[in-house]
Amino acid sequence: MNQFGFYFDQTRCTGCSACRVACKDWNDIPAGPENWMRINYTEKGKCPDVFVSYLAAPCWHCEDPLCAAACPFGAIHKREEDGIVFIDRDRCVGNAACEEKCRKACPYNAPQFGPEPGAKMGKCNLCLDRIQAGEKPICVEACPVRALDAGPLETLEKQYGQTRTAVGFTYARRVKPAVVFKPKPTSP
Amino acid sequence: MPKSSAADQNVRIVRATSAFDCGGRCPLRLHIKNNVIVRVEGDDAEEPHQLRTCLRCRAYRQYIHHPERLMYPQKRVGRRGDGQFERISWDEALETLANQLKRVKKIYGNGAILLMTGGGYLASLHRGGAAAQRLLNMFGGYVTHYGNISSEGAVWASLTQYGSVMVGHSREDMLNSRLILLWGWDPARMISGTNTMYHLIRAKENGARVIAVDPRYHDTAAVVADQWVPIRPGTDTAVMVAMANVMIREKLQDQAFLDRYTVGFDRFKSYVLGEEDGMEKTPGWAAAISDVPADTIVRLAREYATTRPAALMDCQGPARSAMGEQYNRCAATLCAMTGNVGRPGGSAGGGLMGIPVAHMFRSPGIPAGKNPFELEGPKVKGTLDIRERVIKRIHINTLFDAILKGKKGGYPSDIRMAWSMCNNYLNQTGNSNKAAKALQSLEFFATQELFMTPQARYADILLPVTSTAERSDLMRPWPSGPYFMFSNRALEPLGECKDDLEIATELAARLDIKDFETHSEEDWLQRLYENSTDLKRHIRDFDRFRQEGIHRIELETPVVAFRKQIEDPENHPFDTPSGKIEIYSQRVADIVDGLCPPIPKYLPTSEDRNDPLSRKYPLQLITPHPRNRVHSEMYKVEWLRETEPHRVWINPVDAAARGITDGEEVQVFNDRGTIAIIAWVTERIIPGVVSVTEGAWYAPDADGIDRGGCANTLTRDAYSGGGAAVLNTSLVEVRRRERS
Repeated sequence: MNQFGFYFDQTRCTGCSACRVACKDWNDIPAGPENWMRINYTEKGKCPDVFVSYLAAPCWHCEDPLCAAACPFGAIHKREEDGIVFIDRDRCVGNAACEEKCRKACPYNAPQFGPEPGAKMGKCNLCLDRIQAGEKPICVEACPVRALDAGPLETLEKQYGQTRTAVGFTYARRVKPAVVFKPKPTSP
Repeated sequence: MPKSSAADQNVRIVRATSAFDCGGRCPLRLHIKNNVIVRVEGDDAEEPHQLRTCLRCRAYRQYIHHPERLMYPQKRVGRRGDGQFERISWDEALETLANQLKRVKKIYGNGAILLMTGGGYLASLHRGGAAAQRLLNMFGGYVTHYGNISSEGAVWASLTQYGSVMVGHSREDMLNSRLILLWGWDPARMISGTNTMYHLIRAKENGARVIAVDPRYHDTAAVVADQWVPIRPGTDTAVMVAMANVMIREKLQDQAFLDRYTVGFDRFKSYVLGEEDGMEKTPGWAAAISDVPADTIVRLAREYATTRPAALMDCQGPARSAMGEQYNRCAATLCAMTGNVGRPGGSAGGGLMGIPVAHMFRSPGIPAGKNPFELEGPKVKGTLDIRERVIKRIHINTLFDAILKGKKGGYPSDIRMAWSMCNNYLNQTGNSNKAAKALQSLEFFATQELFMTPQARYADILLPVTSTAERSDLMRPWPSGPYFMFSNRALEPLGECKDDLEIATELAARLDIKDFETHSEEDWLQRLYENSTDLKRHIRDFDRFRQEGIHRIELETPVVAFRKQIEDPENHPFDTPSGKIEIYSQRVADIVDGLCPPIPKYLPTSEDRNDPLSRKYPLQLITPHPRNRVHSEMYKVEWLRETEPHRVWINPVDAAARGITDGEEVQVFNDRGTIAIIAWVTERIIPGVVSVTEGAWYAPDADGIDRGGCANTLTRDAYSGGGAAVLNTSLVEVRRRERS
């Protein structure tokens, strides 16, 4: 399998949310709690020695996705050809029936639900439609400071290295998220 | 390679951009289906040349198709300001406005008609108010405002120091800098030109050391700064003056540069050393004023003076204050003392950052003609005496005071009616509560708008206008680029919306104005192109320009302000009376009873941190640009609102002293008003200062508490000696929500 994944340069991210808004526009998701791309915030220290960092948080398309294993209805599967963890919205029966087992299983809060009762799960699919058309996901194209990239994980590792840590992120060995980072140093 | 954007045969792609007052101008590819924008994509140029839009235009379709957009003309039915309106026909709306114009002119004269225009739509053809200005000039004139809220302090400083407002470098030049001082500049938030933050990051990655001097540890600083120097608002000039003191005492200034290119350094030196007033401006002196430790000031001065080239990037925010002009003047003076003016990787200061290639100030537009009301007034072009500018016009930050007081208050006329477009000044100039009172006092108020803004609520007649997506126009970025844009009409007008030009044209017929030219949008755009020297010089194929939506100008080397003046001073004098950089300005000295000193100086002001009023209101308020809207535009867009709650930044020290915890609702107040807002307790702001981003919509409740959290409910409607709006010079107090 040619596993696809993300690269995130944490040293560049200004936390601007262009990726998050572009994701909502491209995937037509209303304002509200369903956010396929999230921005996690870290603040430490005291004025004037303050540390601030942001972490882009989509779905990391894990090699061993716990969400897929947790779904009682088999609505989540890992695609053979590119490793994208994909939700079949026709098979998802909504969160009233399963108490959001996928969300609870995911270490990264990737499965998301709208506010309506019985909402079906939605999450980042790496903009599969764009990937299939030979384009980058919309979040990657949207980043004003070019802090994001996506593609075959092997290519990303060659280009950006194999670092799997970042501020606000823990690499979960049991799921193997498909991401490499340029982390922000916590001290100069 | 098939493009996903073309997957749906019914979707067409239109190349467009926005006309917001945002600083950027970003290529957008709008996906249109059945007269609806269904998706937005950005620039598709080859990297690294893409001009990438920010989050705001990523939410463009939610703005254009927002359910609260005004879709038909309305008239007020309840009390003014209550927001009750009734749908009427265009015929009735235009007839009412035309009749009011005729009535007020007949009874009171043309000076009683106030035209309010603004930056809500920045482009050539449909530019805010251009058509209305032309119409009213033909109608006998009107009174209007002078100056812009954002940058008047920087404009005055640049004209004084350099005789020019083109004081910027193209952004790529930051890659030539070894040291960059972000002094009150936060491009991650306020954009400051498309890709500016990207270039700044590249400069950092290229090895530049970056220091941020600011009351806040803003996102730009968080990403690129090696050091944050927290500073009290309104004290930037004191720290700069003390840096000059260190440079002079340690003989670090570039004296050869000063001798060759400047006048008046000795007078500035005499002030700095205390020879003029017996008070030497030492780092210790500045530390007591600014809360920046003296040794930090010493190190800053040494580092800036000895690292070449270094770019001191001052901006316009700190200059939006009492005596704010002095900050940009003093920054420019430091740039000269360190020999960084006219040098790649350096900077000229002055705060405006514009380059003379494809600059927005040079946009063509509808010829407005002369305003008969202003004909007997003084010639104001180039004057540094602000009082001359307010003989026939009203300073923008006293607009509502002028409505209330008229001639008795020293204003040019007694205003009876106002016609407004492309602005929301009630929300965006000082003292919103006073503005609301002023609008109540008018005999008639008509507004062209896209939304029911806080100001539009006070209208008697509301005219719905088309958005940028429903128009074609010529666009340019604010300060830099360099490139030209053509925004293609993506949608047929929504609802019953008309553009401002159409409205003016239809009014012309009702006002019996015969020579108001009625060209189509197409004809006008062609004419504007034909008559614009810089467009014609750069663009030979107008049709191709339209199709591509952009014309990028290739620069062989980055633009550097005043490069010719520095490299070849004999043949290229500065555009000042002395032909040099004027650290001492004789023109300023010659102003009788002038409010600004001829050399840059730190001066105490009303509502600075030492004002006796600080015993009652001990916190200083700053009102920076928001990130998730453009000033007050896009305020309603939910995709943007949810990215960042509207909060007051407060340091834990100040929060603890008031029993305030993070996330609770608090009240920020002074004698001008009270806002209700959520507290954000953060180490990212210096103690003694609170920050509320401008642009949230004013929404007073029955008790007069502004539930919308509009920053200008707390600010002053006044201006500084050089015309700067004093919106960052306000004292406030914060308390927990009153419980009944």
